[in-house]
Amino acid sequence: MEKVIEVNDMSFGYTQESVLDHVTFFVEKGDFAVVIGDNGVGKSTMVKLLLGVLKPTSGEIRVGGKKLVSISKTNIGYLPQNGGSRAAAFPATCEEIVMSSLYKKIGFARFPGKAHRAKVLEALTSVDMQDKRRALIGELSGGQQQRVMLARVLAGDPEVLILDEPTVGVDAESVDRLLHILHHLNIEKGVTIVMVTHDIEKVGPYANRVLCLSEGACREEALPQATIVHAHAHSHAHGSAEHVHCANCNHAENGAPAHDAKHCAECSHCGAFHEHIHSHPHHGQHGHADTDGKGAK
Amino acid sequence: MLDFLQYTYMQRALMVGVLLAVLVACLGTVMVHKRLSLIGDALSHSSLAGVALGLLGGFNPIVGAMATCIVAAFAIEAIRKKLGNHSELAVAIVLSTGIGLAGVLSGFVKSSADFNSFLFGSIVAISAFEARLVLILAVVVLLAFLLLYKELFFISFDEQAAAIAGVPVGIVNAIFTILTAVTISIASRTVGALIISSLMVVPVAAAMGIARSYKTTVLWAALVAVCSTVAGLILSFYIGLKPGGTIVLISVGFFLVFRGIGYLRGRRGSGKAGAFAADGDKGAKSGSEGGV
Repeated sequence: MEKVIEVNDMSFGYTQESVLDHVTFFVEKGDFAVVIGDNGVGKSTMVKLLLGVLKPTSGEIRVGGKKLVSISKTNIGYLPQNGGSRAAAFPATCEEIVMSSLYKKIGFARFPGKAHRAKVLEALTSVDMQDKRRALIGELSGGQQQRVMLARVLAGDPEVLILDEPTVGVDAESVDRLLHILHHLNIEKGVTIVMVTHDIEKVGPYANRVLCLSEGACREEALPQATIVHAHAHSHAHGSAEHVHCANCNHAENGAPAHDAKHCAECSHCGAFHEHIHSHPHHGQHGHADTDGKGAK
Repeated sequence: MLDFLQYTYMQRALMVGVLLAVLVACLGTVMVHKRLSLIGDALSHSSLAGVALGLLGGFNPIVGAMATCIVAAFAIEAIRKKLGNHSELAVAIVLSTGIGLAGVLSGFVKSSADFNSFLFGSIVAISAFEARLVLILAVVVLLAFLLLYKELFFISFDEQAAAIAGVPVGIVNAIFTILTAVTISIASRTVGALIISSLMVVPVAAAMGIARSYKTTVLWAALVAVCSTVAGLILSFYIGLKPGGTIVLISVGFFLVFRGIGYLRGRRGSGKAGAFAADGDKGAKSGSEGGV
């Protein structure tokens, strides 16, 4: 799999003390990775580093194989924390807000055209907000505002989407809806997602990787076993063979997942068993355990 | 009825007033939404220090006002970046410095009448040169505002996202700062340094009561500013009021009326809003069922 984000031996500190200390991990194309960790461990700092807003004190970040210089030269979209609520007091329509992300396509000191307006409508449709395109952002609910902010990011056709706690301050139903949209983007459109969240119970079912930040280090953790759906759904969508990582030795196994319930596959490397999970709560699909620990340090 | 138009000074005052009203409303919309409503106050007070310098140094006070305004505007930006979470203090610091300097320097100005004319302006005493200056300024500022409209919108809405999207935030902010400083320094001669900051904020605040988009906020703000200026000039001609103050008070009247309309519309629409929300929820549900 192509590595879209690589963080190599990266350290960063606001003072002499490091917030992130020799962190190494990578995100592959098509991943839905969640970044978890207690308050103050450096999750938002990590996002700022990935966006190029902060520069690492040592180590490097590579995006699409190239050293990150400026995020505007990459195809990464970013949804900030409480993006919707920050927009609430701004007297702009959803259409105007989504149009702002087409800046690069329109160009400096130029005006948007018919194609740009069509793109805005397409982005709003993808989050089911097309009927509210002329509504003021401040008139929408928190969940709807967050979806408009997501549409703003999507209008730029990002290959990678970085989200900083997008579920904060949003009601449970809207969180489910937002996660469904993200899952759809990830599976159907192949958008790689990196999401910082505290809400691992809600987000876990959609993710295939969990990166845990703690005491300046980043390690990859196993997904909550009973809720895993991403990897299997991905193989359905793309008809591809699947990587399964052994929870015991981290050895990657190739091959399509078995669909029958409670089927286990033996790791050819260490002999441990991967458990295939039957029936996903949202889709009624089979899931597949993917407890990898690849690349994290 | 239109006998005030017979007078050249009134024709000139109307032309300059309308042009400045449009400019100030456009710039004011960006300022208000960048949460920098008081920057106009800081710059206009700083311009007074430049006026005093000009009067003392024997050069055109407008040039002095322009110079101190530009320095003050960049000082605000620089201090904002240094203060981080307390960035709003930058405006207060520059405003205080401007008032302090103007106060001290004005004590050395021999003709206090000259200095006072910049405090409240003298729109009906504008020279042909000043009228031409305003005309050129209007063309430059309006062109820049139109060309940078989407950049200014993006920066006002979310400066960090704009930078991430590749908007040259530093350049656009610098251009905007210079345009604002130049506009305020010229406007201080016409409508007055103490009044220009009100004209930058009040029409925008009025427009926000009824506008249904960012674009219409700009248009309504310009309309309110133009109507206030024209009505203020006509009233001051017939009743003998001070034009600057009359213009600002009329714009405050617009603010009260438009906010009242917005409030009534909101109350009348609260039933509809409920239905709107219900529809939204329905849409959300149906979307989630079929969306994925």
